[in-house]
Amino acid sequence: MRREVPLIITFVVGVIVLFANMFEGPLQAWSSELTGWLIIVSAFAVGLASVNLFRIHGTALMRMRPGWFNSLALIVALIVFAVIGTMARLGGDEKINNLNQNLYDSIIGPLGAAMFAMLAFYVASAAYRAFRMRSAEATVMLIAAILTMIGKAPIGELIWNKFPVIAEWLIDIPNTAGQRAIMIGAAIGAFATSLRILLGLERGHLGGAE
Amino acid sequence: MSLIPNTATLLVTILTMAAIALVGINRSKSGAWTPTIRRLAGLDAIEEAVGRATEMGSPVHYSPGIGAATDDSAPQTFAGLEVLGYVTQLTAKYNTEIIVTIRQPNVFPLAQEIVRQGYMTAGRPDMFQEDTVQFLSNEQFAYAAGVMGIMNRRHVAANIMMGAFWAESLLFAEAGAQVGAIQVAGTAAMGQIPFFVAACDYTLIGEELYAAGAYLSQDRVKLGSIAAQDIVKGIAMVLIFVGSLLATAEIDFLANLLKK
Repeated sequence: MRREVPLIITFVVGVIVLFANMFEGPLQAWSSELTGWLIIVSAFAVGLASVNLFRIHGTALMRMRPGWFNSLALIVALIVFAVIGTMARLGGDEKINNLNQNLYDSIIGPLGAAMFAMLAFYVASAAYRAFRMRSAEATVMLIAAILTMIGKAPIGELIWNKFPVIAEWLIDIPNTAGQRAIMIGAAIGAFATSLRILLGLERGHLGGAE
Repeated sequence: MSLIPNTATLLVTILTMAAIALVGINRSKSGAWTPTIRRLAGLDAIEEAVGRATEMGSPVHYSPGIGAATDDSAPQTFAGLEVLGYVTQLTAKYNTEIIVTIRQPNVFPLAQEIVRQGYMTAGRPDMFQEDTVQFLSNEQFAYAAGVMGIMNRRHVAANIMMGAFWAESLLFAEAGAQVGAIQVAGTAAMGQIPFFVAACDYTLIGEELYAAGAYLSQDRVKLGSIAAQDIVKGIAMVLIFVGSLLATAEIDFLANLLKK
């Protein structure tokens, strides 16, 4: 039963949500109701995940493992954000609401932006490794990349007015054709995977042997 | 119940694809058809990566991506979880630590169960520790920072990433490259495939990720559905070819039919 019940739930819910996109009538109302349930189940999942965070970092803190101060910072931040966020949600006054917003705007926003900004440097180092001429494919990629970069840079047109045309052709024709091939293959693969899950033929996510 | 306008083609397509997949699965299951999957270097390299981690005495890092189990990236997440089961059993066989990092709360219990069951199947339930599967954060870049920190602090020897990834893909791949980890990645997220190809040792591109479970398990049901996928792909290719010819001849019959 431990396996059968999740499989039955998956099938019934999957069929309702799938066909609600194509048929008018009660299916749409049921699908909407199920979406509400999903939010409740997701809330429990967040609770479960938070418990995992507390246990791992609480243990690291109590045993003073290397880097325990990071665990302390995490636990303090978790508690502060949770308490202030809950107070704001429960109809806190303007001060609490402002504090809740400022915590996001002044801490999470800049930290996320800093992480995102690192991508610029990583793109350069990854490109350096990828463009080394180790094989025929890498050489083709290097030539295509150089032509595209020159064609897209303002100086490219000054050197030779055909560079932008070549760059556009590379992006519009071979690049688009390759992307579409991957997208069509991936979409069909996603459908087949979804069908296997819906029919209970793929059970790897339930753990254990098939 | 009546059909919503402009969804007839969608319904017919879904039913046709489902019928082809079911026929493929049944024929494969009954032994009437034995589909094979071409060699996928990325999946073959996983054992090599785990073996290298064992020799170095360093852990393996695994990420099933940052997609949820409930949105349109779910098939990628489930494909990633399939591979996780295989990697867990490999790490149990080689007695090597695995660190699974999770971004989505609803993927966390699934990953935890897969790893726990994987160890049990391999006869090593003692290897499952509280921090084997770690939920880091559901904030995208906080999760990315956590993963990069673990890679650097623990000096992971192998970094396996299978699932849906967004902007953090290159952050992970470069962090892995900096610590000298052997890296195997797989995603169907179009925008991230170039980053993985550029920065990882092996990459599963698009549909290869969905074929991973079948390739690793050689399960006849999964092999049958993968072969059926190829038939559907063939039909799509014919439609594209015929559609292109008709569009060139300014006949919009097929285009109009598909819009219905």
